[in-house]
Amino acid sequence: MNRIKLYILTLPVLLFGFHAQAQKQTPPAGGTPVEFKLPQRKTKSLDNGLTANLVQYGTVPKVHVSVIVKTGNIHEGPDEIWLADLTGRLMQEGTSSMDATAIARKVAAMGGEVNISTGPNTMTISGSVLSEYGADLVRVLADIVMNPLFPESEIDRLKNDLKRQLTVQKSVPQAQAIEKFRAIMYKDHPYGRIFPTTEMIDGFTTEQVKAFYAKNVGARRTVVYAVGKFDESAVDKAIEESFSSWKEGPEVHYPVAKAENTNEVAIIDRPGAPQTTIILGLPALDPSHPDYTSLGVANSLLGGSFGSRITSNIREDKGYTYSPRSVINTGFRSALWYELADVTTEHTGAALQEIAKEIKRLQEEPPGEDELKGIQNYEAGVFVLQNSTPQGIIAQLNFIDFHGLDETYLENRVKNIHAVTPEKIQELAQKHFRYEDMALVLVGDKQQLDKQMNAHNESRKTR
Amino acid sequence: MHLTKHLSRIGLVITVLLASSCSRQEEPSTFKVPVDYYKLDNGLKVVLSENKESPTVVVAVYYNIGFRIEPKNRTGFAHLFEHMMFQGSENLGKMEFIKLVQTNGGVLNGSTRFDFTNYFEIMPAHKLETALWAEADRMRGLDITQENLTNQQGVVKNEVKVNVLNQPYGGFPWLDMPQYANENWYNAHNFYGDLADLDSAKLEDVESFFKTFYAPNNAALAIVGNFDPAQAKEWVEKYFGNIPSAELPPAPDISEPRQTEEKRFTKKDNLANKPAIAVAYKMPDRNTPEYYAMGLIDQLLVQGNDSKLYQRIVQDKGYAGNVSGGINYLGNMFNYNGPMLWMTNLIHDDNVSTDSILYELDQAIAELDTIDQQALDHAIVKMRSNLYDNLSQLYSFGTADLLASFALFDDDPARINTLEDEFRKITPEIVRNTVKEYLRPTNRTILILEPGAAGM
Repeated sequence: MNRIKLYILTLPVLLFGFHAQAQKQTPPAGGTPVEFKLPQRKTKSLDNGLTANLVQYGTVPKVHVSVIVKTGNIHEGPDEIWLADLTGRLMQEGTSSMDATAIARKVAAMGGEVNISTGPNTMTISGSVLSEYGADLVRVLADIVMNPLFPESEIDRLKNDLKRQLTVQKSVPQAQAIEKFRAIMYKDHPYGRIFPTTEMIDGFTTEQVKAFYAKNVGARRTVVYAVGKFDESAVDKAIEESFSSWKEGPEVHYPVAKAENTNEVAIIDRPGAPQTTIILGLPALDPSHPDYTSLGVANSLLGGSFGSRITSNIREDKGYTYSPRSVINTGFRSALWYELADVTTEHTGAALQEIAKEIKRLQEEPPGEDELKGIQNYEAGVFVLQNSTPQGIIAQLNFIDFHGLDETYLENRVKNIHAVTPEKIQELAQKHFRYEDMALVLVGDKQQLDKQMNAHNESRKTR
Repeated sequence: MHLTKHLSRIGLVITVLLASSCSRQEEPSTFKVPVDYYKLDNGLKVVLSENKESPTVVVAVYYNIGFRIEPKNRTGFAHLFEHMMFQGSENLGKMEFIKLVQTNGGVLNGSTRFDFTNYFEIMPAHKLETALWAEADRMRGLDITQENLTNQQGVVKNEVKVNVLNQPYGGFPWLDMPQYANENWYNAHNFYGDLADLDSAKLEDVESFFKTFYAPNNAALAIVGNFDPAQAKEWVEKYFGNIPSAELPPAPDISEPRQTEEKRFTKKDNLANKPAIAVAYKMPDRNTPEYYAMGLIDQLLVQGNDSKLYQRIVQDKGYAGNVSGGINYLGNMFNYNGPMLWMTNLIHDDNVSTDSILYELDQAIAELDTIDQQALDHAIVKMRSNLYDNLSQLYSFGTADLLASFALFDDDPARINTLEDEFRKITPEIVRNTVKEYLRPTNRTILILEPGAAGM
């Protein structure tokens, strides 16, 4: 990247303070790249099927340990939404040897705390402590995941917390939009079920939690990561000693989801809302597909980065919105592409038209070499950053593990980002960013939106 | 915007202080951040800190102007102005700054806080010169049209809508509490800005704000990461050295009077469906023993799930699923320079009264009266770990944040390496005295959020 394209301002107004310059300076190009190497990992497998990854990284004297179990909301039935979350929370309430308060004090004395987070595909039991306590943390996390007590005395309080959280989340416009969009995309799969009802939570029992755990948690589904600065042999030994006795448990099994092709439009009424929350999208390629990396570059160019076309247009040109962005949201062998934006109510129709225009422009004409090169540099830079923190390194390793990719995905990623051609971007835009096939969810003032939807309906006929 | 921008001056670089010369007393801390601090002839404070763990480098420019001291008839202006810094400078037109960073493989952001406005890039290591050139270009002057301003007024109004006006619990309590708890306008106005004030901002305001506050002698530059120091210093001199300094306005009086009565307010939130409460206490002055004591008290009261408030309110009573809290909700206990609040807040059910929550808070505070050295040692372990997290935050941007803040506010970035020692000096007696004066009920403000939306 030697020079950037200089714009000619369309409005030759004002340049306060100094005179217009005839000749602008060219930014200095920079030197020779410092070589980027993926952090080295040591892997280990126990006889019961558990695997572990140790990565020495960084200079700050801390170590991050994550125990990732391959289960989550994906293993819930239609009447069990958030049962996985409740299982995670009750798991934190103690083991056969320590109650929740004892665990909290013990790990705080190491400079950390235990977090259990439940996602669609994984349940993560993790902590981040001062380097010298790495092995101790491994032992505590192992105890929590292997010997949970699931005390009956705590379940009502935790169910009440979940109900309060549910009530609050359902009042958030972005959460309302995501819930509706996923329900449209995944009709008969847990990926489409975001929120339970309060009645459903009321009905959960300790027996159900124990059954969920027995069915879904065990050594074969578990991967341990330790990343940071730590005593490798001590941590290695702690993993061996504390996890070896664990039952094999169930095999990894993810039910494959198939996203719907539908251009359904849904409006959730929020009378008087000053903004409309927009989600617009359709099924996309998942990471096991050879074109996934290229699609990621196409997304970054279209709407996925600050300098992208949609953001330049509806934020930096029109001022309709603050934080628009497009994403590829990946699940197991299934993915969605969507644009999210909170736009001023009266500009909702206009914003949709501009998004449609940008998509169409990319489909009709390949991007310029310079524009694409810039996006490729950005994506490569982001990848380096993603591998530059302990949590980031764990996320990268978990990503390839979850999607069944091998190490070459990471090793070749920078090269593959740079290999994408303008023609490929155009082809992918035609194949995967089909505006007329996108589902649309709007959360906003319905009365105001109905008036503006003609514009959207018109823009669907663009092809 | 500086008319004298072509006047070139040869700056003399003065190296003021090196971290390695710091004296160590008491128990030495185990981890040191390299600090190389000097000033340019025009007053720009420069801090370099090498760290080769990744092939990246952080460039952060901090201006000594936060929303606290923005013009009185222009609420929200410091933040609106921050947006204008991305709209065009002498050599970089609209969108070109952002594209320059991203197309060179970097990420960037800017933010407006109580006492500074910052701009930073995290670049591939070999693009350091590019980032320094670009930051110097916009420090030298802006080149903005009415069209750019109108556009960013639209963007900022949308930012306020998405974060506050269309969001349940929007602005609670981070934006609300300073307005209720503080007496002095500088600490108590709406930092995001009234929409009408945002609308009335004019191009002349942008120009005068830049001229007043955006000068090298009112700024600090931090470079953290993988770079060659001699080379970096050469570039800093080359690009920043000839930016003229400006005469700075006198600092306004931002002090707060001592609070002597408990204050209680209710705010109706028509988008929220569960009640919430926030309680704030006025903090001791920065860098006093009581201030460091409050850092440890914060660890004991509300940080982590072993904390007193979590154990009482979440674990034992089940009043809430979580209790938040801390010093400076728009940063951390180190990156501000004026009156501040220690605050805690939570969302609870309708059937839990405000008084029963306050009872638990008072009990937790009362327990601090019998605090011993062992409990303080526990707090120090948590604090140390938390400090290390601050340093690593956002690919080491957190290190740049502390270095730039300490350069700007204390003229002493090497403080970054003495913080642990300052916490270790705190005795149970200092904690008790701090609790007595600063966690008095008469030093607090209670803000109750009353939900206006239907529950489920």
